[in-house]
Parts: sequence; C-alpha cells; structure tokens
Amino acid sequence: MRDRLLILSVFVVASCGLAYELITGALASYLLGDSVLQFSSIIGCYLFAMGVGSHLSQYVKDERVLDTFVEIELLVGLIGGLSASVLFAVFAWTGESFRLTLYALVFVIGVLVGMEIPLVMRALNQREARFAELVSRVLTFDYLGALAVSLLFPLVLAPKLGLARSALLFGLSNAAVAVWTCRVFRHELLRPAVQYLRSLVVVMVLGSGFMVSDMLTHWNEKAIYGDEVIHAETTPYQRLVLTRWKNDMRLYINGNLQFSSRDEHRYHEALVHPVLGALPWARQVLILGGGDGLAAREVLKYPNVQHITLVDLDPAMTTLFRTSAPLVALNGGSLNNPRLNVVNQDAARWLEQHDAEFDAIIVDFPDPSNFALGKLYSVPMYRLLSRHLADNGLAVVQSTSPYHAPRSFWSINATLQAAGLMTTPYHAYVPSFGEWGFILAAHHPGYIPPQHYQVPLKFLDREATRQMFFFPPDMQPWKMQPNELNNQLLVHYFEQDWSQVIR
Amino acid sequence: MQIARRDFLRTAAALAGLPLLAGCHQVLGWGLPVEVMRPGMAEGHRLRDTTRLPSPRSTRQVDTVIVGSGAAGLFAGWQLVREGYRDFVVLNGPEPDGNAAAGAFGEWRYPTGAHYLPLPSSESAHVRALLVEMGVIESGGDSLRPRFDERVLVHAPDERLWRDGQWQDGLLPRGLGPDDNAQQQRFFQHVRQLQQQRGIDGRRVFTVPAALASQDPAWRALDRQSFASWLAAQGYTAPGLMWYLDYCCRDDYGSTLAHTSAWAGLHYFAARGGHAANAEDGAVLTWPDGLNPVLRHMRGRIGAERQLDGAAWRVQPQGRQVQVDYVDAHGAQRLLARRVIMTTPLHVAWHLLPHMASLGFEHQQLPPRAPWLVGNVLLERFPAEPPQQPLAWDNVVYGSRSLGYVVATHQLIRTALPERTVFTTYHAFADADPMASRQSLAAASTDSLFEQAMTDLYTVYGPRLRRHMLAARLTVRAHAMASPQPGFLSNPGLAALRAVDGPILFAHSDLSGLSLFEEASWWGSVAARKILG
Repeated sequence: MRDRLLILSVFVVASCGLAYELITGALASYLLGDSVLQFSSIIGCYLFAMGVGSHLSQYVKDERVLDTFVEIELLVGLIGGLSASVLFAVFAWTGESFRLTLYALVFVIGVLVGMEIPLVMRALNQREARFAELVSRVLTFDYLGALAVSLLFPLVLAPKLGLARSALLFGLSNAAVAVWTCRVFRHELLRPAVQYLRSLVVVMVLGSGFMVSDMLTHWNEKAIYGDEVIHAETTPYQRLVLTRWKNDMRLYINGNLQFSSRDEHRYHEALVHPVLGALPWARQVLILGGGDGLAAREVLKYPNVQHITLVDLDPAMTTLFRTSAPLVALNGGSLNNPRLNVVNQDAARWLEQHDAEFDAIIVDFPDPSNFALGKLYSVPMYRLLSRHLADNGLAVVQSTSPYHAPRSFWSINATLQAAGLMTTPYHAYVPSFGEWGFILAAHHPGYIPPQHYQVPLKFLDREATRQMFFFPPDMQPWKMQPNELNNQLLVHYFEQDWSQVIR
Repeated sequence: MQIARRDFLRTAAALAGLPLLAGCHQVLGWGLPVEVMRPGMAEGHRLRDTTRLPSPRSTRQVDTVIVGSGAAGLFAGWQLVREGYRDFVVLNGPEPDGNAAAGAFGEWRYPTGAHYLPLPSSESAHVRALLVEMGVIESGGDSLRPRFDERVLVHAPDERLWRDGQWQDGLLPRGLGPDDNAQQQRFFQHVRQLQQQRGIDGRRVFTVPAALASQDPAWRALDRQSFASWLAAQGYTAPGLMWYLDYCCRDDYGSTLAHTSAWAGLHYFAARGGHAANAEDGAVLTWPDGLNPVLRHMRGRIGAERQLDGAAWRVQPQGRQVQVDYVDAHGAQRLLARRVIMTTPLHVAWHLLPHMASLGFEHQQLPPRAPWLVGNVLLERFPAEPPQQPLAWDNVVYGSRSLGYVVATHQLIRTALPERTVFTTYHAFADADPMASRQSLAAASTDSLFEQAMTDLYTVYGPRLRRHMLAARLTVRAHAMASPQPGFLSNPGLAALRAVDGPILFAHSDLSGLSLFEEASWWGSVAARKILG
C-alpha cells in the first residue's frame, strides 16, 4: 500500500514537472515571441537542470531520503506554483531582468524536479522491491504523468485557468504529495512535525495565491496595457498588442497607442476626407503606413477611386487586419477589397524604387520619436513624395499634435514648405490622443476645404470641417526651422515637446 | 590525465558555444564566412619580383594613357572628357577605385577604404565642380557656402565616443577634468587662428590642396619637427586631448603623433575650411559605400569604352612615344601613347618605370606607407544600443588603438530600421614599423585578422555581437597611404615629380604626401591640364 502510494506520487510529480516546463515555455513565447526559440531553449535548460538535480541526488544520505523528498516537493510546489505569477509580475513591472529571472527559475525548478525521481527510486529500493520491477513501474508512471499533462495543459488548463492559476494548481499538487507522504510515512520521517508544519504553510501560500491570482493577473496586465490582451504578437519589426475593454478595442505598437475603436473614426475621417473630399476626380490613391486598413476604409467610400496602393512594412500587421474577425469588422474588410493592393515593403524605399503618380497620398507614419523615424519627416523625403504626387493632387501627413507638440507640428510644416510644397495645416480632437494635427500639401496654392461630403461620415460635416482649419489663439503657428537630416531638429523638438506634457 | 580532462572540457565548452575561454574570439569566428582581400598584392609582388617579361600579343595606339584608376586617375579622365578630349584610355590596374573602393553583401554596400569627403573649401574648386555635376552641390557652387544635397550630408547623430562603458556625443572626450577641458579649448582656439593665418606671400598657411598653401619658410619650418614635440613645446599634455589628436593622426595619416610632421598634424585641423549653407562647419559627405559613388560618377562620364582591365608591368619611352605594356585576362598587351599619366602610388611607379631615377627621384625618397586593415561585417540585425545613446555614423572607442566603426546604412531613409546592416571597422598599423607590420600581415591567419578587425566592436557590444554576424570581409591594404613624417614637405624627389612635364606625367596624392581625395584629384586635374596644354 505504502509503495503503491509512492508510485502514485511519481505520477503526480511527473505531471507537475512537465507542467512547469510547459507553463514557462508558453509564458516566454507569449511575452517574448518566437515560440520555437523560447520553447527549445526552455526545454533545453530544464532538461539540463534535471540532469544536475539527478547528479546532486546522490549526496542525499540514505536515512534522509524521505525527508528530503518531502522538502523538495514543498520547494517545487512553492517555486513552481508561483513561477508564472512571479514572471508575469517581473515582466510587467521591470521588464529588463525578465529573461534572467525566467532562466533562473527554470533552472532551479529543473534541478529540484530532477532530484525527485531518483529519491523515490531510492526510497523504494530501501524497501527491497525488485530492481527490475521498480525501474519499470517508476518510469511507466513517470511517462504516464507526462502524457496526462501534455494533453490536459493545452486543452483544459491553459484555456480555462490561465497560466498563473495552472501553475498554482500544480504547485498545490506537489504540496499535496508532500502532505500525503508526511502522513503515510510519519514513522519513518526524522522530523514529521516540522515537515507537517512546513507543508501547511506552503499549502496556505499557494491556496491564497490561487484565490487572488485573478486579481494579480489583472493587475499585472493592467500595468502593461490597462486592459485585457486579446492578441499579442512580436514580429521582426514591432510588437503588436490588441486589447479589449467592453466595446473598446485598442492597438498598441511597441507599447504606443495606435488607435482606440471608440474614436478612431475621428482620426481617420480627419486624415482622409479633407483630401479625398476635395478631389472628386481622384482615381489613384497611395497610403503609406496605415496597415490597419482604417484609412483605406475611408478612401474606399469614394466610388471614383479606382485603385489604392497601401505600403506597410509589416506583413504580420496587414495579415492580422485582413483575417481577424473583429478587426475586419472594424476596417470593413478594406484590406481584402479588390480595389486595394497591399505592398509589404519599407515605404521610403518603395517611393525610391517606383515612379507611379497618385492623385492623393496619405502619409500615416509613426511619430518622429527617434533619429531613424525623424528621417521620414525630412526635405528629401518630402521631395520624393512630391515627385509621386500628381500636379493637381493632394497629400496629407499625420503631423503630431499642434497643441501638445507645437514645435514638432510647425517644424513639419516648415519642412514640407522647404521641399517646395504649399501647405494647409489643420487639426481635430481625438479623445484618446488629444488635439491631433495634420498637414495638407499640394504643388499649387489655393486649397479650399470641402463644404460638404458625398459619402457617409460620423464626425465631419460642414461646421466640423470649418473648425478643423481654424486655429484658435492657444494654437497659433510657431516659427520653427525645417527638419534637416544632418541636425534632425525635429527629433529634439519632439523630445522637448513631450517632456513638457508627460509627467 | 589532468590535461586531457581540461582539453575535454575546453572542447565541450567550445562545442556548446559557451564564450568561457580567454582569447575566445577565434572560437567566436567559427562558422562565420570570413573572406580576406588583399587588393593588388599578387600583381604588385609579381611586378617587384619578375625579371622576365612576356612579349605583347597586340599593340594599340592612343593619344594618352592613364595608368591606374584611383581618385587621381579617374579625376584626370573626368576632366579630359569634360574638356572635350576623348582620345585616351584608363588602365584600371589591380586595384580599381584605389582607396575609394567599395564592396557589397548582396544589396548592402559598404566601403573597403575611405568613407567620407569633407565639405570642399573654396580652394578645392576642382572638387566642387565635380560635386556640382553630380548634383551633390545643389546651388552656390562658387559661393562660400554652397547648398548640399541633404541625403549626402552625414545625418545626425554623426559621431559618438565610447568611454567608461557609455557613449558621449562627438569624438572629443569630455569630462576628463578642468585641465583637459581648458587645453582642448586652447587647442581649438589656436586652430581657429591658424585657419585664417596667412604667410608673407599672402596665401593661407594651411589649405587643401596643399599645393596652394603659403610657401612662407617661417611656417613651413613646422615640418621640421614632429607633431608630438610641437604639442609638448606648446604645453599641450592633457591625456584626453592627446588621445584625440593621436587618434586623428592615425585616422588620417596612419601614423602616431611622434611620427607625424607638425605641419601635417595642424593641417588636419586648420586646412578644412569648407562651409555649407545647410550644414554646420565640419560636416562631411558620405554614402553607404563611402565615397565610391564619386568614383562611379567619374567612370560613368569617362565611359566604359575608355576603361581597360589589366595591370601595367612596364612603362618606358620609345622614340617619341611611350610604350605601356600590361597584362589582362588574354595575356600581354601593349599601348603606344603620346603621353602617359602615372596615377599609381609612387612605390608601384618605381617598379613600372625603369628610368624614374633620371627624373630626379631616388628610391629612398619614397614616403613611408602605413598598412591598414578594413573590416566589413554583415549583421542580420542592429545590435541593441543603450537608451538615449543611439547608433551614430562614426563610433569610436576612447583609448583604443583601432579607429572605431562606421555604419553603412546610416544614410538610408526608412520607415523602420533596415533589416540588415554593415559595420565597417578601421585599423591603421601606426604603432609598429610599417615594414614589420606588412610582414606580419602577410603571414597573419584569417582568425587573427578577424580578431584584430573586430576589436572595437567586441569592446562595445561584447562577444554576443557574433550572434548577429552573417559574413565578414577583411581588406588588407598593406601599402594603404603615405604617412607625412617630419620633413615630408621638403622631399626634393616629390618636388621633381610634381614639376615633370614630359611625355610621362605623375598624378597621385603621394605627390602631396597627404592621402586625401582632394589631393589626389588635384594632381589628376593638374595632369589633365598639362595634357590639354
């Protein structure tokens, strides 16, 4: 009976051992991306650590085998059980030491798990079971446990409980094995009372962790994005995270908010319609950036537009917005529209290599927050752009905030002018961004904002359009220098502007 | 037994890819395709060692032959075409584009020699004319401050210096104490005066090209001492400033302070008087592949039909003509020309021209030549940089004996960082005798060259950079440039070659003793004017 109990604990112990490996692997690929690399390196580290554990098990004295087994179960339960929660917290709050913590935890758990089976075998061996039979039984249950968890984890536990609570559950199982062993073998243990007490503490810690883990996860995820993450992906170019809170979907790229589904219509209507509304003859449209297909959705409202070329670097982004049901609902399937052609290439490079002309060009690049991005707001870039703009065509550039970042906004205006373009700046209020700015550019002066729109809109009408082109006294133009590549003033302006806004 | 076990552990660690061992850079090089280029070495040594000459298979008549296709040769050809003179050929030689050569890993181009051109001063009118034609100068080519194409002006951030585990802006070390700061200020104050300084003949003391500089003996006396002794006499001792000045001498001349003429050392700082309407003084012009596009442009104007592949092995007068024998893929060939412009380095010209001594030039008057190693490594992604210290175009390590690295993709305009990049490292062998360095370079293994070329990169990024490397190409330039040692200005042999106006002319930066594009092209231009009469 007692031996059978030990064998049963092998089953539990093996399940838990594999579970920690799967949980840390899943967590790492979820947070860091590149799942093949994460899983391989974690399994490698874990198996190696198990080897170290098996090696160390020989130093446990014969009379302490059962005591050590109980202690190890408690330690594995505690460390393994809390591993996912700890890793998540480290990622959310510090970020930098995440990898180190990850591999340290995996190694420690691996070493402990590696000691379990050798100790059980020695305990059984002391009871004079036949060696051949012993090895066969222990390993049979070891592998059976592994099979059970490898099916249970992806199908039931991960989706139902989540990673943090699954880990806690396995931790509790380890602790249960400890309690159980204490109870059944109390006469053979050297210090049964102490072991009991320890088990109790561990079970309580893990149990309460299980109760509050929902809160913890929520708190950690909030620390990162504030809302529930419904999609996260690390591509070679950026990290895409999609969150949802009630009916508000938000896309973050590298942690920066790109849009909120509640008010993105304001941003995209303001970006697109002052151009397209003034060009009833426009046939060919170019969108640079805008892989979310939201600007394209607005452009496609115009039946006169025959063809849209959308150049966005990241295929993962355009694929996501072409295939994910809620996102396709949001962009109206614009990226699957036959009138639109997606080119996954660097937009600046594409402009260098092609020479097609467009009636309208919509530029939705990331803000000039570093030297590499600042180059996209430079005279050579805008000269390149103007070569692709038809003689009577219009271009529009997303230009940061004239209210929060006036130096940047008016410097972009000066840069477009230095490239020989006539500019018309305007702005719109987008609640999740604040007051946002755009600059319209053309080869010739005389742009007149549309008085009415032929297409259905939620935000813009005659009066809203008039207000966009009116700059109230607290948003008057600043006299700024154009952005030159050899000094990149814009990047300094941008830093200066936002350092005064963000506390 | 002990040793065997240690060996086993070492092998196991190496196999596991663990960077545990001292001198592990060789281990780190494992599996990386490293190519070593030694441009011109085989042809040059054959020229030096061969006595028996093949007889030519064909003979071609042409008015002028330009031997060599570096900056001087191509500039001469470019100027001839510009003036409507077309009866000439350029013999490319074993090192096409000379020190302005470039290479490419697929679409990723990089320099294998010089990587920039300073803003040309008004004395460098010949360079300005070329840049106007290229469209690099957009307007104001004759003015004090021309307007340059922004894509070619080096983009911000241009330079940074690695010191004590962090980067600082610019290459001048800062934060080394009040004495260092004061001396740095005093030195640059001094240099600003020298930039305006004129000799008794009314000419500026320091100019590019150096040929236009004042001949005032009082100023040229600076050439009689080393830069080191001049600095000591002026009371410049601060370690930060001294390191910086030594770095500049190694970077421009391949020699240390002690082996650089004081005139040349000051020339580096005081002669570059170029300005731009749309950039600060001291800005430079650069392309992904260094300044190779300038040479490509000149080749385009000269036309492929006037460029011959092949290496010269003998140039000698034959009656009223000059006979140029060369070897190409088909064998030995001969050109008969009215005039020849020798644009090879002078130590090569010495072997090509049996009668060079009769022109007033002695073998011992050849300037000492510094060996260089240029390393190019293709990276599969940009290494991580510390926050707020972004990658610059030129990145230098304080205290290093190497010269840092430049980033070939720096001038690209992209919405995201390019998926790959090439870092180009530079090392001038300034600390040892050039001859000894050349001998050790000739015997050096690929591993040791790779280790030498990667020194600064590993200092900055650590061995983990190896993981991002896809390929490396090392260019050994054993005779890369003439070093201006004390006394170089009064080399009578060079003066004789500069004055030559017979059937054979000379054009190379060696004639100035300063290895600069402006000097090379100046002598190319002078030779072209002699041809045009």
